[in-house]
Amino acid sequence: MKAMNSGTALRHTAFVYESEHEYVARSVAFLRDGLEAGEGCILGHTRHWIATIRDALGPDAGRVTFLDLGSTYTRPARAVASYYGTFLGQLRKAPSVRALAEFQFGPTYEDWDEWVGYEAITNLAYAHLPVWVVCTYNANGVPERVLNGVSKTHPELHTDGWQPTDHFEDPRELVRKLTPEPEPLPELRSISTGDDLEVFREQLARELAAEKVPEGKALDLLVAGTEIAANAVRHGAGIAEVRVGNAEGRFVCEVIDRGSGFDDPVAGYLAPREGTGTGLWVARQLTWRLEAFRSPRGFGVRVWL
Amino acid sequence: MPGSRLSPDRERELVVATERGDRTACRELVDSFLPRIGGLARRFEGGGLVQRTELMQEGVAGLLFAAKRYDPRMKTPFWGYASFWVRKAMQELVAEVTRPAALSDHAVRSLARVRAARRDLLQAFGTDPTNADLAAATGFTREQIDSLLAIDRTPRSLEERLSAEDGTPATFGETVADPGSEDDYEHVLDELEVRAFAARLDERERTVLWRHYGLGQPPQTLGKIGAGLGLTAERVRQIEMEALEKLREAAAEPPGAGDSGA
Repeated sequence: MKAMNSGTALRHTAFVYESEHEYVARSVAFLRDGLEAGEGCILGHTRHWIATIRDALGPDAGRVTFLDLGSTYTRPARAVASYYGTFLGQLRKAPSVRALAEFQFGPTYEDWDEWVGYEAITNLAYAHLPVWVVCTYNANGVPERVLNGVSKTHPELHTDGWQPTDHFEDPRELVRKLTPEPEPLPELRSISTGDDLEVFREQLARELAAEKVPEGKALDLLVAGTEIAANAVRHGAGIAEVRVGNAEGRFVCEVIDRGSGFDDPVAGYLAPREGTGTGLWVARQLTWRLEAFRSPRGFGVRVWL
Repeated sequence: MPGSRLSPDRERELVVATERGDRTACRELVDSFLPRIGGLARRFEGGGLVQRTELMQEGVAGLLFAAKRYDPRMKTPFWGYASFWVRKAMQELVAEVTRPAALSDHAVRSLARVRAARRDLLQAFGTDPTNADLAAATGFTREQIDSLLAIDRTPRSLEERLSAEDGTPATFGETVADPGSEDDYEHVLDELEVRAFAARLDERERTVLWRHYGLGQPPQTLGKIGAGLGLTAERVRQIEMEALEKLREAAAEPPGAGDSGA
């Protein structure tokens, strides 16, 4: 896997390994190359494998940042933020970064699709950073459906050296395909807020209290909801309707505006920077799920707490 | 097979509340699933390599991770989803405990030579070579071969599938365990991640937000809050806007961006 991190932008690659020996040998070589080149080096895996790679690296392990992925992959938006923060931290002291991360999959189709979508988002979330990300997949443990997604989400795969894949798909289109359509929630109720954000928060706070949402989480939604409502006022020609209530055991708030809306399945997954808004990123970070949809009343954004 | 003594609605409530960081709900959820976790832990029997207490702790950590990730829209019941993570957490523990003390580069290269020799001899003679054969083929001593194969064996065999019982796949890793107590999982609950953006606020900002939006108390107007703090309503509004901006900035900042990692 010897190759330099050539540039100033993301290089998103994958290797599928057949044995643990192959994983260790390639990972150690990849990290050693990075250390020799003065790059920041990161390895993400579970504790057992972190310990194995540490041992294999010997004294060099002290120059590698290890991430325990046993608790990182809870929600795609939070995983993106976690890696993004780690990359920025590394880039404060090194000109470029290389990272190895083992794909963490769950036991259901829905879970697989969601995290294959996360892999697609990776291509956009760190696109501007000088980072070489190698996603590792255990061929003996990863479901076929997930393995099929590897060539769709990584521009390069390691087979006999690094090779471009013929099956790479446009990340946004792939995320769109993998994301379930938001379903109507007739159980939500309308509240009257107008375009005044303070009134919006006051009304929302009343509803949160009525649903006995804990204070800390209520505050999260007040901030997240403010971002969505502000977008509706600023970019959506005003708020047409706000609906709230309990669905599937979670407090839900949707803001429908009078504008044409946006059509971006990765909205809110890309960290704020020049040309990228902050509002939906903040809303995704503070809530469990964010959905955008069109309805007869207008364009809606819905957050689940 | 029922996941716990909870009704489906109560189970969902507890999963959602646990994901939100509600410790009371978390305890109830864990208590409800402890027997199930214990059942999985018992399957890791043999060898006495891992304390049951440790298996239970890992199992609880796996359950809580599942609660953070579980989407009720999935057709899978919670335990059907969570048992995967519970089992995975226990497998990780067993692998960690039984992991060779060191797998140096030298050992990795040596293992590669032994594996290549085994493959060549198997292809040439159609039978698995003895350790003596491998020693002769590689130039390693018998002791070195024994040691390298011991390193090679443990982690690989943990993921080896053995059988399917009650619809749940079993691996060798699941059969390696040690029975014991089911009680000592408290420290796992102590490690629950609860994001606390509100910690960025100073006391006055917190007072304004909590009173205005009725967090844990009846809501108050800006004027009334101002009267209580000796400030004008307009000043209270400014404090609120500053507080909201702080929270927004805290939420926008990726975790760990300010340091170089661990």
